[in-house]
Amino acid sequence: MNKIDQLKEIIKPYVPNRERLEHLTPETDFIKDLAINSANLVDIILDIEEQFEITIDNDGMEKMMDVKSALAIIDEELAKK
Amino acid sequence: MIGNDIVDLQLASVESNWRRPKFLNKIFTGDEQDFIKQSANPEIEIWKLWSRKEAAYKIYNRETGIRGFFPWKLACSLEENDIARNSGVVAINAKQYYTNTEITENYIYTIAVNSILNFEKITEVHQQQKIIKINGIPFLENYLQPLSITNHGRFERKITLIDS
Repeated sequence: MNKIDQLKEIIKPYVPNRERLEHLTPETDFIKDLAINSANLVDIILDIEEQFEITIDNDGMEKMMDVKSALAIIDEELAKK
Repeated sequence: MIGNDIVDLQLASVESNWRRPKFLNKIFTGDEQDFIKQSANPEIEIWKLWSRKEAAYKIYNRETGIRGFFPWKLACSLEENDIARNSGVVAINAKQYYTNTEITENYIYTIAVNSILNFEKITEVHQQQKIIKINGIPFLENYLQPLSITNHGRFERKITLIDS
């Protein structure tokens, strides 16, 4: 499974409108496009940390607003391992 | 400037598991975490602080154009008097915002303002007025009046500022 599909699986439980998830692109915004509740962004961050066995620091969390930045942060943290 | 945020307590209890390791750590400052842990009802305090942060963030986002996920940077005052009155300051960098929170058994609702005087000018928008968004930030179309909208579960609130 590539990373964008892995990410899709992670965010799926938090997306109220599942149809929008079908058209996930790097530009997709978690809140504006997917209507994810901002409190659930924490769950997504924790799920990403668990699944990829990484730790996302505060700088990473601040940027965690869309698919593109989430993927970049995952890559950045994986590279540190 | 205004911001508001509502938490449907019933939905929050199924949607968020705040007991999960690191959950509090990702959202709250050290002082806030201590405060939550010492409180008699941590769940209520969590959503109260969260709604203060979210309401204040909406003003910060309007004023600075900065968008991001940094709830730990929006530090809530935790003085006893403030807590007792369900009000208090939320500070981020050099800015500070004033908040008032309403707590019922069904929801927690916070209004934030950039100046205390603005609390008196807040009006709820009930009728269907046309809303436009500029860079994702809502305004009432007629007057280009800033509007703050919040919805969660069973509840929605729309507020604007009226000069009297």
